[in-house]
Amino acid sequence: MRFIASVVVTIVLSSFAVAGDVSGKVSFGGKAPAMPRLRMDADRFCRSVHRQPVSSEEVVVNKNGTLKNVLVYVKEGLTGKKFDSPKEKALFDQEGCVYIPHVLGVQTGQEVVIQNSDNTLHNVHTLSTKNPSFNAGQPIKGHKLAKKFEKPETFKVKCDVHSWMGAYIGVFSHPFFAVTNDDGSFAIKGLPAGEYTLEAWHEKYGTQTLKVSVGASDKKSVEFKYSGS
Amino acid sequence: MQDLLGLPIDASAHGPEIDHMIAIVHWLMAVLFVGWGSFFLYSVIRFRKARQSKADYAGVKSHMSSYLEVGVALFEIVLIVGFAVPLWAKRVNEFPPEKGALVVRVVAEQFAWNIHYPGADGVFGPTDVKLVSADNPVGLDRSDPDGKDDIVTINQLTLPVGKPVIVRLTSKDVIHSFGIPLLRVKQDAIPGQVIPLWFEPVETTENIKERLTKRYQIKKGEYDPRFTAMVAMMDYVDTENNLIAGKGNLLFPDVIDMLAEAGHNEILAGPDTPMEIACAQLCGLGHYRMRGYVAIKTQEEFEAWLSEEASYLPE
Amino acid sequence: MQQSATTERRHVESVRHEEHAGFWRTYVFSIDHKVIGLQYMMSALVFLFFGFSLMMLMRWQLAYPGKSIPGEVFVLLPAVISAATLVIALISKRKLIGLVGLTFAGLAALVWYLVSDEVLFPDGVMVPELYNSFGAMHGTIMVFLGVVPLAVGGFGNYVVPLQVGAPDMAFPRLNMMSYWAYFIGGVVMLASFFVPGGAANSGWTSYPPLADIATTGQTVWLLGMVFLITSSLLGSINFIVTIVQLRANGLTYMRLPFFVWAQFITAFLLLLAFPPLEAAAVLQLMDRLAGTSFFLPSGLVISGQALEVSGGGSPLLWQHLFWFLAHPEVYVLVLPAMGIIAEVIANNTRKPLWGYKSMVYAVIFLGFMSFIVWAHHMFMTGMGTVISTFFQTTTMIISIPSVIILTALMISLWGGSIRFTVPMLFALAFLPMFGIGGLTGLPLGLAPTDIHLHDTYYVIGHFHYVVAPGSIFALFAGLYYWYPKVTGRLMNDTLGRIHFWGSFFAMNGIFFPMLIQGLAGVSRRLWDGGAEYAHAQDTLYLNEVMSISAWVLAVFQLPFIFNFFWSIRKGKKVESDNPWDATTLEWQTPTPPPHGNFAMVPQVYRGPYEYSDPKSPKDYVPQNVA
Repeated sequence: MRFIASVVVTIVLSSFAVAGDVSGKVSFGGKAPAMPRLRMDADRFCRSVHRQPVSSEEVVVNKNGTLKNVLVYVKEGLTGKKFDSPKEKALFDQEGCVYIPHVLGVQTGQEVVIQNSDNTLHNVHTLSTKNPSFNAGQPIKGHKLAKKFEKPETFKVKCDVHSWMGAYIGVFSHPFFAVTNDDGSFAIKGLPAGEYTLEAWHEKYGTQTLKVSVGASDKKSVEFKYSGS
Repeated sequence: MQDLLGLPIDASAHGPEIDHMIAIVHWLMAVLFVGWGSFFLYSVIRFRKARQSKADYAGVKSHMSSYLEVGVALFEIVLIVGFAVPLWAKRVNEFPPEKGALVVRVVAEQFAWNIHYPGADGVFGPTDVKLVSADNPVGLDRSDPDGKDDIVTINQLTLPVGKPVIVRLTSKDVIHSFGIPLLRVKQDAIPGQVIPLWFEPVETTENIKERLTKRYQIKKGEYDPRFTAMVAMMDYVDTENNLIAGKGNLLFPDVIDMLAEAGHNEILAGPDTPMEIACAQLCGLGHYRMRGYVAIKTQEEFEAWLSEEASYLPE
Repeated sequence: MQQSATTERRHVESVRHEEHAGFWRTYVFSIDHKVIGLQYMMSALVFLFFGFSLMMLMRWQLAYPGKSIPGEVFVLLPAVISAATLVIALISKRKLIGLVGLTFAGLAALVWYLVSDEVLFPDGVMVPELYNSFGAMHGTIMVFLGVVPLAVGGFGNYVVPLQVGAPDMAFPRLNMMSYWAYFIGGVVMLASFFVPGGAANSGWTSYPPLADIATTGQTVWLLGMVFLITSSLLGSINFIVTIVQLRANGLTYMRLPFFVWAQFITAFLLLLAFPPLEAAAVLQLMDRLAGTSFFLPSGLVISGQALEVSGGGSPLLWQHLFWFLAHPEVYVLVLPAMGIIAEVIANNTRKPLWGYKSMVYAVIFLGFMSFIVWAHHMFMTGMGTVISTFFQTTTMIISIPSVIILTALMISLWGGSIRFTVPMLFALAFLPMFGIGGLTGLPLGLAPTDIHLHDTYYVIGHFHYVVAPGSIFALFAGLYYWYPKVTGRLMNDTLGRIHFWGSFFAMNGIFFPMLIQGLAGVSRRLWDGGAEYAHAQDTLYLNEVMSISAWVLAVFQLPFIFNFFWSIRKGKKVESDNPWDATTLEWQTPTPPPHGNFAMVPQVYRGPYEYSDPKSPKDYVPQNVA
């Protein structure tokens, strides 16, 4: 019943086109810091799967001068609105002894499938404070663990076996978030008309906010600017 | 007796003494067990009801057993005074001078061994809990002049052969145990305490690897679980002379299948890392694979390794 | 004479009590030492079975690391036992057997619940956390909920008052309380499987800081331990008072059956050793719940994060408190077993125990010494020469009384007329098996050899030889031996022999390979049984040998379980109250002994094992025959 209702509402809303899109990019100024090479010789498996040296993903500056792995989301402007959890699952993979993706955004109540694609032990240790923290071992290739996070927060995930492995999961009570990719762009679609505060979050350079006003069927473009030292 | 017991290869200077003592104790055990066992079996057969319808109220009248017990006690005194105490004292009291030895810090954590070398200046830089991060597992202060040249590795304990090694052992989180079976070394790593231990490796790991290299039969689809810890000990090619597994390559299941397909029905394989640090104290879910790799190199190789490591140091 | 007045009064009281008792009062909230003993026995047997089941699941993982577990097979065993006992219960119309059947059904459900859990068994593979949790709970259950309650709570409760000629324990209500504290402790331990993160997973030794930072299961474990320890303390006081105060007239200390002596010393061990652990458990609870740092040093970094605690504590403090209990606890596991063996050997050789007095002095000395050897578990914690010499010396000294007792039992065979009854088979097997257990303690008790063997499978092999084919075989001997006293029927002999021979070979198949792996240097508590370690490779094949032996052992328990319940109604009836022609007082009562035990207070005239006295026409003279 509730499902049908929400489908109907969605259809009605979209047909009236009262929603707008916000897209943009996160640019990076200054010199990109050299990222340390990840030394995977602590684990025989990890060492053997990489032919090329792997660098830390703490700061990844794209070729077009943009910053990768920035989490962009609506911080304010949605008070009082409720959003159902999406049906599709989010995948959080461990492959080649790194996390894929390095930064993941999910919605509260959304199922996150944590998967081990490596032939070695990984343990997924969430350093969350609002959601219950857990530490689960995945010793076998192909193991999957389904988890849901019920409280909005952004937290670190690490593997105690491989000290270099770290990633971040952002949990939001709404579907309006995105992570910048290889060209530093992001797109938040279907925002209801209104005034919003957007926030960009980066694991090293912290947060930035900007205000944006979205009208019905607007296509807004914004830009965040980070700079190195 | 040592062969009979199946003790692993011994690559430390003090190891044979321990092995010798293990053998002596097992001789004592064997003698007692066989002695008791024979008496037991004889009694059970000789005094079964069918043969002995009426029991003897008094039983054994001699005091042989008392002499036997005194004998066991004397032997145990010899074990303690002659072997246990001097051997132990050598391990925990008679450390070699630091000048002629290599000193390393080992900081255990869930689930890795962080190895800290003092670097070219021979002085350990200061460490601080506040500086601990993924890139700096021991919390080394790189801004300190002593800390600049320090080398930190994870799970890689590289040592020179024929030189005493002093390990200053501690832990960041829970209790671990630093055990290297092939060096007859074991010591708990206890947080809040730094415990020293020492040993002297007498054989390079490359040498041990050669000694442990054997031929193994292979078949497609049949994976001997022992291969997970092994590498090929020579180059293997397919019919078109393409390399399938080079010397030192790991033998994953698909590699074995490819080898078998290419017509190899046996391979020469040896342990990838014959000498390992095995955590011997339950430390959490990753305890079973909290494993460090020990490489014993010649002095020249060791120095080459040190300078290679030094080249990776941040500016 | 004052003693007998007390005895008389208690006798009258307990007889009066019996007249008004209904089902609940008779079977559940009973204050009769025999019913309480049986309650302990049944609960402990179920726990032993459960603890063993955990190990059977773990042994799958060890033999076939990372392969899907055939969960149904492991559920099948308790399910079959449950079905069989329920059928027997229906046929014989015994509510208690029905209760046992339901318990096994519960166990089957618990195993099923665990095995079908997606998080704990993804794709049917046990995750390492669960392996650790099963390991910790296997140890805890076997020691604190299985062997000790069976040996002390079960046999001690049932047999000691009978053997000393008392109508009941000195404090019957305390006795009931002790059982129910144990029962609650057991339920709490079982409940811990259902809390988030599962049951305790820091080993049965619960070393901090690991245990301090572990999941909630550890808190529940500590709470459970507090109940179990309380139960033991109450029980031990009761035993001491009963043995000191309620002995029948003429039953001097040197006329006590060796079993009573063993229980007497055991009670002192429990009384004196457990309080430090209870204190330690409370301290650890406070570390976990109240933010104290008794066992946490400063500057801990857990998973890359500095731990926000005041610090300044010592992890080693726990080890000292723990082993101060746990070493005497080893003798708690062993002494009652030796006691049972002594009874069975004397009875089946038809001659007095050889060197009874030296055995008694040895057991007293053993009890005393067991308090000053604890740190031999801690040689690898950074111990200096002086302290290690002290503990090595005391450890070697304590081996002497053990050797004396074992030798005396062995020499007792000489000149006997040995009957190979089922209890005797178990008792005979105990001697060499316990011998292996004791001997393998030598290289572990000497610090330099312990360097190589510490925390390897050698340790596991060693203490399992002491406790499994050692203590548990003795307990089996006791079960077969005293069964006719309790039920008035004998257990089936053929099934008993099948049970014995199967168990004997399977036990050795499990534990001997452990010694070999240990000598090769394989660490204990490894989820994959050492599969990745280079030095373990040559002994890895033994993992499968051990696992198959463990499952074979399980199969050979089926004849025992069937025999045990079937014989209650269908076993061969005993022809007298004393079917084994035994001398001690428990056989001089009606069968089964009524509430109050003895029709009249017995008078004792002689020592416990007057078999084949040449002056007597029969080959035994009971203690109460003038």
